[in-house]
Amino acid sequence: MTELASLHGQTPLSAPPRGPLPHDSHVLAGINRILQEALRASTEEELGQLCLAVAEDLTGAAFSFFGERRDSHDRLDHIAISERGWAAYAGSDPDFSQRQLPNGMKIHGIFGQVILQDRSMIVNDPANHPDRVGTPEGHPSLHNFLGVPLRRDGETFAMFALGNHPTGFTERERAIAEELAPAIVQALLRKRAEVASRASQRRLLSLIEGIPQLVWTATRDGQWTWVSPQWVAMTGLSVEESLGHGWLAAVHPDDRDAALRFWNGASEHGELAMEGRLRHGQTGRYRWFKTRATPVRDDHGNIVEWFGTSTDIDTLRRLRERQETLVAELQHRVRNILTIVRSIFTRTVESGGPIDEISDHFRGRLDSLARTQVVATQTRSGRVDLENLIRDELLGVGAIEDDRLSIEGPDISLPADTAETMGLAIHELTTNALKYGALRHPAGRLSIAWAIELKSNSECELIVKWDETGVPAMPVPPVRQGFGTELIREALPYGLGARTRLEFRGGGVLCVITLPWAADDADALNRSTKG
Amino acid sequence: MNRRSPLADKRILVVEDEYFIARDLERALRAADAIVVGPVATLEQGLDLAENQPLDAAVLDVNLAGERAFEIADRLSARDVPWTFLTGYDEWALPAPYRSASIVAKPFQPDRIIRAIGALIPDKGCA
Repeated sequence: MTELASLHGQTPLSAPPRGPLPHDSHVLAGINRILQEALRASTEEELGQLCLAVAEDLTGAAFSFFGERRDSHDRLDHIAISERGWAAYAGSDPDFSQRQLPNGMKIHGIFGQVILQDRSMIVNDPANHPDRVGTPEGHPSLHNFLGVPLRRDGETFAMFALGNHPTGFTERERAIAEELAPAIVQALLRKRAEVASRASQRRLLSLIEGIPQLVWTATRDGQWTWVSPQWVAMTGLSVEESLGHGWLAAVHPDDRDAALRFWNGASEHGELAMEGRLRHGQTGRYRWFKTRATPVRDDHGNIVEWFGTSTDIDTLRRLRERQETLVAELQHRVRNILTIVRSIFTRTVESGGPIDEISDHFRGRLDSLARTQVVATQTRSGRVDLENLIRDELLGVGAIEDDRLSIEGPDISLPADTAETMGLAIHELTTNALKYGALRHPAGRLSIAWAIELKSNSECELIVKWDETGVPAMPVPPVRQGFGTELIREALPYGLGARTRLEFRGGGVLCVITLPWAADDADALNRSTKG
Repeated sequence: MNRRSPLADKRILVVEDEYFIARDLERALRAADAIVVGPVATLEQGLDLAENQPLDAAVLDVNLAGERAFEIADRLSARDVPWTFLTGYDEWALPAPYRSASIVAKPFQPDRIIRAIGALIPDKGCA
């Protein structure tokens, strides 16, 4: 007993009076303490220690532990060892010295019987108990033992055990310990539920505040009751400013009616969705959002509130609009060019002549259109370099740039529609020169030159000059207006506002095409000539 | 006796920026005995004729060198002159108010445009 007294240190301050009074005020105070204080514990171990301290105080035990079966059922993990228990340890196990709770203990020996036999046990002569297995090194020598099972839903899942009562445990201590057991279970489970609930809430909050959507809750008439930080960050409206119908301030004025109407359907529909613009607080710019609301229902299926998200779809919408524009423009271009091809075909056939000649003419015109289309669609701007346009046409018929052929002008590019008609015009001039003019006769010369000229009214013009010389015989002008002549004399002025001059004179063809030239195009020219 | 063309002596405005398409339209309309006003290629010219010429109907290309012909359509509607779009755009690519308008899709056959315009002009009790 001297050993025990030294372990114990001092008698418990609130030792209850002796006698079989399990429901006495001390026990009730202990239960109350467990239920009240245990929830404030920051860890399960702290909670366990509190329960053990109460049990030690009420029973007069010198030390105690609190353990729980593992899921595998044949091992025991410690939830707590009482302060007095730690103090009583006299061994050298470094884990114990650092208050490392022993886990995975085999369920056997005297304490094991509490769980295995599922009942409370008093052992006042442990040294001679048939199930004894001894104590670990450093464990205070055990003079007597009281173990109590802890049950959840009628099943023993844990236990606590008290050791070394100064005079041995009696039915009175057993009754006190059994009285405490349900309170200890309740405190532990409540603590675990609370921890799980807090973790779940934290996860939910991290999710709500971590997603890119703006999240809020509202009553059925669209009165907001809560907004997430994302909403505040996006709109610049504070939580207080947004509640009730305050959120409407962030909605585009044109979308406010729709946003209020959105709630009209709240009673009938299971879910609400709309697209509308919200004002970005920092930039003042409106962005498109897709807003959805889902009802939160009570156990009877009644809608108690609405949970809403607003998703930024501005970029998506822009891309969609851009895509629609691109598709529309593509359709327009394709259908337009087919209409033009159809028209050129009709005209080529109407010009008459042998089928081979009609076929050659048509193919040449189609190729010219195709070349321009290819170049125009290769660049983002859709512009076509004038020099390349001319060279491609001439090289296409085998003309070589030498002292008889000069191509000269500044570096300029034409818009696609201008390039299309200009390409055809160059094609018609080339075909004519090849058949009757400078490209047919060895003595013929061809000069193609262009320049941008500033007119007196400060507007600019692009002047392209096709000048054939040295063609011996005066070429016979076509009897009636052919396709090429109509193209140059009428199509260029009609669609592009050009002035054109086409002469079949002695020595070859002279063609001058004067096109209005936009000022910003002139800037592009200046850059290239300076460079 | 030959049946009179429903477009005979009707004044039809043609606004189309592509020369060859404009000429085809002109030719088709003349063949149907219509009187062609234009053709013109730009929004500005189209607006001028839409306001200042006596007209029975109009054919409008939607895309005039990048500009949209909607303003011309509005002026004509204000004068109760019926019109049809001639365009490579699908209906969805047009602004909402014009989606239900008369539209002839490019590429087109001359007959189609004549029929479309014929449908626009009310039959004023031929004797």
